[in-house]
Amino acid sequence: MTKLQDLIAEAGKCVNCGFCESVCPTLPAAGFLSTKGARGRVDIAKFFYKDDSIDPSASFYSCVDCYACLTVCPAGVNAGKVSEIGRMILAKQGKAPEIAKMIVELTMRYKNPLGVREKCAQWARGIEFDAPETLLYTGNMYQLMAYLRKFGKLRKFFGQYEVQLASFIRKHPSSVSIFRDLYDKAMMDKMNGYLINIVKLLKQNGIKFGYLGSEEPYPGTFIYDLGFEDEFRDYARYVSELFRSKGVKRIITVDPHTYELLKYIYPRYTEFNFEVVYYMDLIGTHKISGKYAVHTPCHFSRYFDFSEYVGRMFDVNVEENPTRCCGGPDELLFPEISENISEKRFNELSKTGLPIVTACPICYANLAKDDSVTDISSILLADGERVSSASVH
Amino acid sequence: MEFIDEIRPILGKYVITKKEDLIPYMNDASYFTGEMPQAVLLPGSTQDVQNIMRIAYKYDVPVVVKGGGSSLTGSSILKTEGVVMSMLRMNHILDLNLNDKCVTAEPGVRLDDLERFLEKYDHFYPPDPASSRAATVGGSISTNAGGLRGVAYGVTKDWVLGLEVVLADGTLVKFGNKTLKRSLGYDMTALMIGSEGTLGVITKAYLKIWPKPERIARILAFFRTIDDAGRAIAEIKEHIIPEMAEFMDKISLDSVPDAIKYPQGTNYALLLDASGSKETVQRRKEDIETILKKYAIETRSTMDETEMNRIYQARKGLYASILKLREKEGEYIVIGDIVVPVSELPSALKEIEIARDQDGIRAALFGHIGDGNIHANIFADLSDSQSMERVNKFMMDMAMISVRHGGSVSAEHGIGIEKKKLLVEEMRFNDNMRTLELMKSVKKIFDPKNILNRGNIFD
Repeated sequence: MTKLQDLIAEAGKCVNCGFCESVCPTLPAAGFLSTKGARGRVDIAKFFYKDDSIDPSASFYSCVDCYACLTVCPAGVNAGKVSEIGRMILAKQGKAPEIAKMIVELTMRYKNPLGVREKCAQWARGIEFDAPETLLYTGNMYQLMAYLRKFGKLRKFFGQYEVQLASFIRKHPSSVSIFRDLYDKAMMDKMNGYLINIVKLLKQNGIKFGYLGSEEPYPGTFIYDLGFEDEFRDYARYVSELFRSKGVKRIITVDPHTYELLKYIYPRYTEFNFEVVYYMDLIGTHKISGKYAVHTPCHFSRYFDFSEYVGRMFDVNVEENPTRCCGGPDELLFPEISENISEKRFNELSKTGLPIVTACPICYANLAKDDSVTDISSILLADGERVSSASVH
Repeated sequence: MEFIDEIRPILGKYVITKKEDLIPYMNDASYFTGEMPQAVLLPGSTQDVQNIMRIAYKYDVPVVVKGGGSSLTGSSILKTEGVVMSMLRMNHILDLNLNDKCVTAEPGVRLDDLERFLEKYDHFYPPDPASSRAATVGGSISTNAGGLRGVAYGVTKDWVLGLEVVLADGTLVKFGNKTLKRSLGYDMTALMIGSEGTLGVITKAYLKIWPKPERIARILAFFRTIDDAGRAIAEIKEHIIPEMAEFMDKISLDSVPDAIKYPQGTNYALLLDASGSKETVQRRKEDIETILKKYAIETRSTMDETEMNRIYQARKGLYASILKLREKEGEYIVIGDIVVPVSELPSALKEIEIARDQDGIRAALFGHIGDGNIHANIFADLSDSQSMERVNKFMMDMAMISVRHGGSVSAEHGIGIEKKKLLVEEMRFNDNMRTLELMKSVKKIFDPKNILNRGNIFD
């Protein structure tokens, strides 16, 4: 089947009942403009199938891929999937947004969206690694959040000229070096600290592992999410080959996006015979003392019940929003929608009066609007130390 | 377009004119596709609505008001050139008074959001259309929506105390208020309910609410024939009014296999809720089950919240989930909606089954047995004129069965564009054409330029 046929096969199952729209986080965040809601995207897809002269990019690219729509659709239609296929069609036709093209080209060239792999490896200075067949793979995800925050401010500064900026960088890729020192230092310190927490947690549990340092590539999340399927196939091959050349057998991921991509998406595009695990699978869990408002990353909800982890460890007291989206996926192309979603989700969590816990760097970066928000690794580490100190006494 | 030029400084970015952004507003949940609007307007306040209507009236621009877009008869799509006014930004719950048993809401509040809000106060707003996840306060008033709880609580008209309405020329009027009683000449609130956006734009609603039953027990019963199911519900209603009383045929059950598994020999199932206090619900459940067991192949019940919700959501999603059973790509669902006196339901349903077979139609039959409301989810190939002819014939057959049994061609979905002809047929059958003329006269008084939902209900 062609991508266009895939598109209509998914959209064609829809009777337009509108259930999806009621849980779609982008609809209210976009001022209730239907094109930027789940049902509107399906409508656009049906229209696009008959008339490809329209430009559906804002509709498809504004979807945050949280799949909340799928959870309520009685017909099993996945409006998120419709957007995903739509983006692939547009990328192939060269109709992706200019910033998307820029990010993909930079990633293909530098194996990192902003060409900052060295900087992304600095958190590990002074840490001793071993056992290269088990790889701790950060995918630069935590580290890049410090850049994205600054990048967002830069985009606001350039305003309507952002397309010209992206075009300029595409023509002069080496100009990306301007980003090297353009990061939010406080955010970088936090993110590096969380990675160090994860290392400590793994070591406390007797796990031995290696780390690729500045050779570590970004996993290609943007390339896939922005619809550049051909480029993603090449990129996945590169990453897979790199891991193979380093003798890697098992990969420990530390964030939901990388976990999902490596475990479920990579094998569809390249030979990828590695065991992929999430670090929390390796560290053992016990009941955490205290109460927290735990935000579930949507990319975890797709493949397994993250609330099962949460339920084992936390006394959760949150009125759960079915979308669970932090707004992060829209930060690059639709910062206003992203901000509106994250504001709403933060307020939902915040009104519990409990400390807020995230388990994804993107969620953290979007929800950390005050000091009440922390990464799950901090809680796990602190509680582990409390338990171990209690057992000594 | 002068109209747009004048409205843009008032609504700013909430005036939508880009072609790609207009496309979704050509559809609602029906199988009709409307005209592409010249613009979509998203007012955020009553004042915005007044401005829009004042300017639309000045330039004779037709306006279709759209809520959650869950209309099943095409009542929220444009039938002529004009603009669509989406009410989704006006989605605030403005006031709750438990003493008055009244909640005040803007038209864009979705019914499930209202339910979640009221739940915190152990209250609920009883009208419960299956589309409540998407449907809005304004839209459900405009179609006099019914729903699953109709057997116990009636329909929307029984729960609206008052309305704030913007008329076609932009004038703001108030019909009714928060009081439970009112004897003030003509009931203008009632006139607005079911008017499908043809008389005015609802900008605020005062809704009656009710304490939530302390406990619910959900009961499923499976029958060989609709007669058995009909006899069971008739006997139950002699003693107990269930909170909900739904029926589903075998095709309907086949579309929700994860939620409801049925025993061999089943042709129809009943879904009933018993409600009451902690102490009484168990007894009511047992009383209902005792009667059901006389007629059913099997009965089962649950008070587990997760299980009850799974069954309830499966029933509410039937309109969409039935599409999983389509035999070829391109098949769509056309939904029928008629009502007969409760006692007539089994015989009417048997006639519908015969008509379905004679017309060569594949359709699932289900609905609200407690209030005589029958739905048919009809598989239809919209691109095949012969298929659509058969569908239209079957819709007409259903309609005539309903009027012959003393019922009506539309129970809770309204007229829209789908049932304009059926409305005339019902009036003609009952020698009641004068009523139709009165309705047209009312429309002329409210909207002399015919700009509100032009072409809806009648031409």
